[in-house]
Amino acid sequence: MNLLKLSALTLSLLSVPVSAQTVQFDIQSIKHNQGKLYVQIFKGEQDYKQGKAYNATIVKAKQGNITVTFNDLEKGDYAIRYFHDENDNGDMNTNLFGLPVEGYGFSNNAKVSFGPPSYQEMSFQVAEQPVKTHSTVNY
Amino acid sequence: MERRQALKNIFGLSLAAAVTPLPSLANLALPDNDLLKLNAKLFEKALLKDANLQGFVGLKHNLAPQTLSIEGSLPKDFRGTFYRNGPAIHQRQGQRYLHLFEGDGMIQQFSFTAQGVSHQAKFVNTAKFAQEQKADKFLFSGPDSKLSESLPITGPDSINTANTNVLPVNGELWALWEAGSATAIDANTLETKGLVELGKNTKYGNSLKGLAFSAHPKVDPDGTIWNFGSTTTGDIVLYHLNSKGITQKVNLLKTGYRGGMLHDFLVTHKHLLIILPSLVKSKTKNVFFGAIDFDKNLPMRVLVVDKQTLTLQREYELDSGFAFHFGNAWEDEQGTIRFDASLYPNIDTLYYMSDVMQGKTSHPTPAKTTFFTLQKDGKTSQYALDGISEFPRIYDHLTGLKNQLLVTLSSIESDVWSDAVRVINTHSGKQDTFIYGSDFLVEEHVIVDNTQKEGNGYLVGTALHVPSKRTCVNIFKANRVSDGPICRAWLPHVIPLGFHGNFVTA
Repeated sequence: MNLLKLSALTLSLLSVPVSAQTVQFDIQSIKHNQGKLYVQIFKGEQDYKQGKAYNATIVKAKQGNITVTFNDLEKGDYAIRYFHDENDNGDMNTNLFGLPVEGYGFSNNAKVSFGPPSYQEMSFQVAEQPVKTHSTVNY
Repeated sequence: MERRQALKNIFGLSLAAAVTPLPSLANLALPDNDLLKLNAKLFEKALLKDANLQGFVGLKHNLAPQTLSIEGSLPKDFRGTFYRNGPAIHQRQGQRYLHLFEGDGMIQQFSFTAQGVSHQAKFVNTAKFAQEQKADKFLFSGPDSKLSESLPITGPDSINTANTNVLPVNGELWALWEAGSATAIDANTLETKGLVELGKNTKYGNSLKGLAFSAHPKVDPDGTIWNFGSTTTGDIVLYHLNSKGITQKVNLLKTGYRGGMLHDFLVTHKHLLIILPSLVKSKTKNVFFGAIDFDKNLPMRVLVVDKQTLTLQREYELDSGFAFHFGNAWEDEQGTIRFDASLYPNIDTLYYMSDVMQGKTSHPTPAKTTFFTLQKDGKTSQYALDGISEFPRIYDHLTGLKNQLLVTLSSIESDVWSDAVRVINTHSGKQDTFIYGSDFLVEEHVIVDNTQKEGNGYLVGTALHVPSKRTCVNIFKANRVSDGPICRAWLPHVIPLGFHGNFVTA
């Protein structure tokens, strides 16, 4: 485990900002009930590119829609990404060429087109009001 | 797995992995709807003046079964079904694809029975085709044609057009496209069954899901199927399937090839030959096919791969060159390998297939049948045969073994498409040629023979007759090609020019 990454994550969970806000993320069109959904939220492009999650959660898969809520977020721009661990092995399975073979998606329902969307396409602002965003799973 | 570790691992892969099959396409952000509309206008204008372009107009719907009118006599021992595949829809709602390779595949089925010759054709009902047909418009960007509002493209199979070849496997057909999965088709009804899952019920499982399975598998005389799939990263996956189409072995070859496109390969009885042409794909151009350049300073590489282990044994460097298609390869007891290619001195023909989509018939340098010898000590030699050459075929029972005869298309009078078919004696160099003439656009001709003896049997192939706006299917005696077809069956209309096919004997 990357201790620095763990420290950053732990700190972010412990220090609740003064003007904390909520993000509600709807994951839609989940194919089936098997496995889990692994969801990460990032604050800022730099942390996203470095894979340093601000917070993360794992929820049991359910056919249809699931809502994940991140609380206590300070002001700033954020992005969410997730995958559906369909075979419940704790990993995002890929084919021999590295292409995901399990469902995945991004906030803002950012589109995949010959590759993942940019941070700008999936990011949203957290300020005074609660935020709602959604994504349809790409299988 | 510990929760945080799992989360870290997941996105350690970072969905950037999703781009690896077609990484260079990730930068293609510029929508070119106007370009697609302009392309349609240019084509429609050119079509008014050049009747040859009718082969590239395309269709919108399936073709119902019909009986064809026959000239000549259908041989009593010529019974079975001739399947062909090719891109057949190029335009929707005033938007026209920019490259011939982008259209959705359609299977043409010619049935030869005691009652005569019949035909039907159905589009391969891929996920892409089904959605676009329902919407009656293009919904997905293609390799070259970009839409401003494309639906998500999560991998090659999102835009799999299944448009290049059709291979009989274990009683069904596989419609093939070189960048993605094979698509299973019912051989009688032509109904689409779905993507072929090569990893299903094997130890490979999902690791083969969505991998490229090229459009030119090679089938050994015993039915064993070999194939490859490539990406622009230079990784090439190699497949060994049994005669039922069940995966036996898979291996990944890291080649460093940067050409972007790899169309065909060869087998001998011991080896696979992965032949990497002198191509370099630009990472900055916002098209796929148009971003591929010929580099005359880059040698053509031949990777010799052991069939048993699917691992690299040795490598040769040849003069620069490019080939879409190869005829056959074989090796002698000393390990000397011989093979033939329809060899181009550049890549202009790839661009031609973009030009023709806007109604321009340019004049790319044609291919010539070229014979190569690769000695075990590393020495190589090559020589070219006179005449234009494409779509090479051999007798199936000699795949990977020493062959004497090679069938190719040729062009004698026309520079639009092929206009002749010939049988080459590779030992004597003698050619037996039938010239359809410049009124015809001639497509691949395949060998039909049940005796497993070169020179026996027939050739069968389609040709579009430009003046009468009809397509015909033609049967020749394999040993008397220059006599012309002994039987010709006519459709009452044109079908789109396609690429490859195979004959299944009744």
